[in-house]
Amino acid sequence: MDDFHFVDIYASKGIEYLLVIGFLIVLVFAWRYLNRPPQSERG
Amino acid sequence: MSTEIVTAGAAHEPTRRELWKFIKNELRPKGRLLTPFNIISGITILVAIVLLTIRFATGLGSVTNLSQEFPWGLWIGFDVLTGVAFAGGGYVLAFMVYVMRMEKYHPILRVTVLNAFLAYVFYAGALLLDLGRPWHVVNPIIGNSFGLSSVLFLVAWHFMLYMLAALLEFAPAAAEWLGLRRLRKILAAMTLGAVVFGVTLSTLHQSGLGALFMMGKDKIHPLWYSEYIPVLFLVSSVFAGLSMVIFEGSISERVFSQRTSESVRKSRGSILVGLARICAATMFLYLFLKILDVTHARNWGYLFSGMGFWWLMEIVFFVAVPMVFFTMSIRRANLGLIRIAAIMALIGIILNRLNLSFFAYRLDAGVPYLPSWMEVEVTLAVIFAEIWVFRWVINRMPVLSDPPAWAKEQDAAAVARA
Repeated sequence: MDDFHFVDIYASKGIEYLLVIGFLIVLVFAWRYLNRPPQSERG
Repeated sequence: MSTEIVTAGAAHEPTRRELWKFIKNELRPKGRLLTPFNIISGITILVAIVLLTIRFATGLGSVTNLSQEFPWGLWIGFDVLTGVAFAGGGYVLAFMVYVMRMEKYHPILRVTVLNAFLAYVFYAGALLLDLGRPWHVVNPIIGNSFGLSSVLFLVAWHFMLYMLAALLEFAPAAAEWLGLRRLRKILAAMTLGAVVFGVTLSTLHQSGLGALFMMGKDKIHPLWYSEYIPVLFLVSSVFAGLSMVIFEGSISERVFSQRTSESVRKSRGSILVGLARICAATMFLYLFLKILDVTHARNWGYLFSGMGFWWLMEIVFFVAVPMVFFTMSIRRANLGLIRIAAIMALIGIILNRLNLSFFAYRLDAGVPYLPSWMEVEVTLAVIFAEIWVFRWVINRMPVLSDPPAWAKEQDAAAVARA
């Protein structure tokens, strides 16, 4: 049982999951921002 | 200098004699020969011919600084790896126009496909210069030694097949130039198939080029080595290719303004904003993958070293900053900022590919590799030779200009039939 490191964010790849979740959240806002029409088209 | 595109057989299918006369006439140079660009590029190409004669007569060591420690230098790092990434615009744009039906980008498709085709011919062709025994290049094709277990088998076949696919995609423009109506009809019908085939090949060999480096785990600095190099190469080829489209388009806009049709000129701004949007999105994904990769490999410790700062410079100044520039430019349709961002992104790709090839390669070798002046000279000659052919085609074929009326009628009839 000593081989398990559930509290180690690196060993459990928790940091990678957090990064992916963070990326997906930022992606929603980035997508909305990128798809806004240019100011000249909005008048 | 004539500003109109002249095509053979304006009113009918040209006879063989008419065609031959037309081609002979078209082979003559158009415009002034002794321009500063022609003189400089001409001398560079002549010197490169001499250097390449020496290289093929006496071997790679006579003109390059390559060694057992550094087998891949500037000719592979820049010409092949960077050149193929820059050609990525061809498959991305063809996919967008023919598969996703994003017709907005149609006006710049031909010039982009031409650029991609020439990039493969010249830059992937430059691979021959770097092969110790270049005549063995046919082995994976003819089966003398397929090398099925090597990534190079995939790369060799894909390069050859993609060149054919890109040629097929561009061929209708050549048929229009020659006035060959029947041939143009057949070629136009084959375009969609060629595009699907070309896109499939490109996704595989863009990543395949990255996979070549997976054998060098112990030789490449950990910040650049990754088991995900193929994915990183594929994603980066999207924004590298589109940045090249933006950069090349900006130059063509000035140099070939007389050849450019009204539709291309009018839609340029909107196209650039659209391309900037895609570049920003793919660079965002690339940046995330890079951060994830460093985290996954637990390489953060390396950042506080000389090579770490070099890596940070590549990622911050030539990925993150141009990504922000692309994003900022979209809102205000700032074309100047889009061009600056595209140039920065292109520099970032050059840096990344050269880092993998030699700057971050075999740091334990003691003596670092730096390309000889002759390698740089030959690389410049390859670029100039491509520009010469590109200019020759643009000045003759309907690439930036509108196709002839009969070709438009053929397309309209094909759409009506569908």
